[in-house]
Amino acid sequence: MRVRLPLRVLIGWITTLSLCGCQTVGIKPWQHDILARPAMSLVSDPMAAAIDDHIYFSKEAASGGRNFGGGGCGCN
Amino acid sequence: MQLKRPPSALHLGLMAASCALLSPAARVQAADSVEQPFELDSALLYYKENSGRVQTIEPVVSLKKDFGDQRILGGTFTVDSLSGATPNGALPSRKPQTFASPSSTSLIPQPGKKTTLYTIVPGNLPQDPHFKEQRFAGDADWSQPLGLDNTLSFGGHASTEHDFDSLSVHTDYSRDFNEKNTTLSAGVSEEYDQIHAHGGNPVPGSDYELYEHEGGQTKTVSGALIGVTQIMARNWLMDLNYTYDHSEGYLTDPYRILSVLDPLGSVTGYRYENRPDSRGRQGLYWVNKVAFGTTVLDVSYRRGKDSWGIGSDTVDAHLRIDLGRGVYLEPHLRWYHQSAADFYDLYLSAATPAPQFMSADPRLAAFIGTTAGLKLGVTIGRYGEMSLRLEEYEQRPSDQSSALPQLQGLNLNPNLTATIAQLSWRLQF
Repeated sequence: MRVRLPLRVLIGWITTLSLCGCQTVGIKPWQHDILARPAMSLVSDPMAAAIDDHIYFSKEAASGGRNFGGGGCGCN
Repeated sequence: MQLKRPPSALHLGLMAASCALLSPAARVQAADSVEQPFELDSALLYYKENSGRVQTIEPVVSLKKDFGDQRILGGTFTVDSLSGATPNGALPSRKPQTFASPSSTSLIPQPGKKTTLYTIVPGNLPQDPHFKEQRFAGDADWSQPLGLDNTLSFGGHASTEHDFDSLSVHTDYSRDFNEKNTTLSAGVSEEYDQIHAHGGNPVPGSDYELYEHEGGQTKTVSGALIGVTQIMARNWLMDLNYTYDHSEGYLTDPYRILSVLDPLGSVTGYRYENRPDSRGRQGLYWVNKVAFGTTVLDVSYRRGKDSWGIGSDTVDAHLRIDLGRGVYLEPHLRWYHQSAADFYDLYLSAATPAPQFMSADPRLAAFIGTTAGLKLGVTIGRYGEMSLRLEEYEQRPSDQSSALPQLQGLNLNPNLTATIAQLSWRLQF
């Protein structure tokens, strides 16, 4: 895969975090108050996410990422 | 003076246990361990493309039940009703063009054969006006913990249409580390599809007028996913996934053709498209979720690449703005770009032999897609919610014209715009 600029930025960002941020990344068990809010779950609206995945699967060549790459439809 | 007796070890133990039971974490843990009510999530989607193209009405119902201890069963049922005109892949022309709908078994009316023709006026994009489809799909998933830090889930999908049937299974395993700040996950999936196009599957790459068709075909898709979810801070969650899938079998779109043009750009015939019978796709997906007070930003980037030469980039952002009293607004912006497949072209040249692989499917062309939308939601209790979202999607192909004399001034691959409206209702009972 040819590495393009956004991917380089992403890899650089993750590497920097891994090397420098290990001591500060993460929280204690009693600090989950904000992350426990439904709006903060990784997929806060699973229905809309599934509908979007289906629409874009039928109209574009790329799909998935959040999970497996769609499928189950003769639309593409 | 009587001195107060110091608390005994037993008292101290009981006090500690009481405090632990009253702590929020313990309350959440206790709530997690008992059976939860059913969760119903339902939606009605209306999707409509411009210029009389495809429109769909799609009701979806999803039911989830937590039997306690994070043992969760979920199921989703979808009905998809599509109708409207769909491009057949041929180019607009200066002369009228006549095609047969896919259900036809001959281009020329003759006894014992079915022929449904449609004629495209000069300058218009050839679209089959008879497209109609109904799809029924069901999904089921089971998830359960394995010990303290592991979760195993598996599920399946089945769907059926007039010309396509699909079955798939998947399983995922995840493990928490670092006081549950880090979760590593891995999963695999396997899909089996049957394609039995209206009027039979055309022989890929064959001459349209010969109408060579063959029996039903199959394809399989094997997928794998590895990911890491990391809590970065009290208000910041990050997820990074790598996905790979490999498709094999009949990957050609049975309804797509290409125009064959002479050096002036006049139509000399048509051919069915032909795609390679295998395809590998890789994807890197990175999402960050950050809370700023009651406002939540969800922004993701996805890089994709496949063995057909298509590269893609997607940036997607949602901003949930809490307006108070359980009401929120959520603007959504999405930007997508893809390059063309190696074998994509607007047309074939009559002057050169047909290539081995060929397609004029706009979904394999280079284009930019943008989405802008807004959702209004009203939360009811901790789980319940009603929401309405309206979005506009636009696809702008890079390659829309040709220098051939007969094609000058014609829009060969017009923009696509679509309106998306979704009404949702979520409740517990």
